[in-house]
Amino acid sequence: MNMSKNEIFEVLLESIYEIVPELEGEKITIEDSLQDLGANSIDRAEIIITTLESINVSIPMIKFGEAKNIQDIVEIIDIAIDELHINS
Amino acid sequence: MNNQGVAITGYGIVCSIGHNSEEFTEALRTGKSGVSQLKDSRTGLGVNIGAEIKDFSLRNYLLDANFSIDMINRVKKMTRRAPLMMETVVAAALQAMECAGLSLEQPPTSRTSIIVAGSNLSQNLNFNTAERHFDNLEFVSPNYALQFFDTNIMATLSELFNIHGEGYTVGGASASGNSALLQAYRLIKTGYADQCLVAGPMSDLSPIELQSFYNLGALGGNGVKDPKAACRPFDADHDGFIYGQGSGCLILESIQSAKNRGADILAELAGGAMILDGNRLSDARESGEVAVMKKALLESNISISDIDYINAHATSTPLGDEIEARSIKSVFKNEINRIWINSTKSMTGHCLTSAGIIELIACIEQMKNGFIHPNLNLENPIDPDLRFAGSHSINVEIDTVMSNSFGFGGINTSIILRKSDH
Repeated sequence: MNMSKNEIFEVLLESIYEIVPELEGEKITIEDSLQDLGANSIDRAEIIITTLESINVSIPMIKFGEAKNIQDIVEIIDIAIDELHINS
Repeated sequence: MNNQGVAITGYGIVCSIGHNSEEFTEALRTGKSGVSQLKDSRTGLGVNIGAEIKDFSLRNYLLDANFSIDMINRVKKMTRRAPLMMETVVAAALQAMECAGLSLEQPPTSRTSIIVAGSNLSQNLNFNTAERHFDNLEFVSPNYALQFFDTNIMATLSELFNIHGEGYTVGGASASGNSALLQAYRLIKTGYADQCLVAGPMSDLSPIELQSFYNLGALGGNGVKDPKAACRPFDADHDGFIYGQGSGCLILESIQSAKNRGADILAELAGGAMILDGNRLSDARESGEVAVMKKALLESNISISDIDYINAHATSTPLGDEIEARSIKSVFKNEINRIWINSTKSMTGHCLTSAGIIELIACIEQMKNGFIHPNLNLENPIDPDLRFAGSHSINVEIDTVMSNSFGFGGINTSIILRKSDH
């Protein structure tokens, strides 16, 4: 698997629109936080799991606890993908 | 202890024969069967027929019913990715609130409670989740942790309607609906609540539950050519129950509260009872059924000569139908020539945990509109002494009704409804 951060962001965006359809049509930037966009705690967990399933990478949810915005989520996924490469 | 009279001031329904109370009543009057081939027939499943809710979408329902955009958005947000069970019970609750003249935007109230009838209400969601994630557990939906609890239904209704009183989920197998009504009745009667939303979500069975009922010999419709002929309560050719889907909600309220806000009292819940057989198995027992009907009459201060009509549990199961017929004769003695008997299940199928709710709504509609609905497929009654409704509805004034629900595990319930003189 080889994905750029931008590609990870694109997958994340798809998940956000799928889980919180009210955001359809709204411009979402990588600096936005899911909470500020109106995603509740369950939505946020759901968005992350849906994204991980699409990318097919498994990361414990606890690692996302410190994420402040979408950028942080992308970083955590990016690091996990890199580690997968090193280990494989 | 206070001693409040208990009124019914609202109700709503989504089931196989109607997506609101008008459609449901019309279906009862004309004798419409909701039974057909299951949408999702599976190879290996013993019986592939049932009375399913078809062509229902909460989104379309909300748009058609002219709710405010604000309300539509609120409901949509709270029911995202929710199973049909949740969509239909929310629609039924919205109908019930509107019917009772209760505002959907009311301030928080702790004088209103919620009781949800049934247990294991998300079996199909459970099955589908297991099927999808058998080999990749790491991606199981976090939302499932909320959804699999039956209390999720109570919580959703509580958030939607700003209800902050007591909340319970009351399970009692096929007697869940009546069990929930009994608890709601007591909350109001004793003054713990002024209003109670009683919700009966549809039993969302997966192929596993259907097949286990089949393997137990409880499911009917074996080898039947016309699905509509499969459900035949009290008929000599009955061979088991037919699965039905139905979500229904009722608003129970103290007479005083209803009067204070000028609400229409649609009927009064006179009382009811539950008696356990002390038997964990699925077989019905005459002793328990007789005892519970007698106790319900006693608790309601109603005599056998007051009862005009019995909405029977009658699931179309040979032993169950026969025992109920015998029990009714034993309780009502010489009155049996006069009292009308029918089974709503002949049209809706057996809605299991919500059956008591669906059938009480059928009772209210028949009482309100002065008719007794037909017993579909009753060609050769198992007991010629009882006054069963035939294949067409009959215009009859009804003042007092008994509604029976009996569940696996020896759970016998009976409740009594009467016209209000308030």
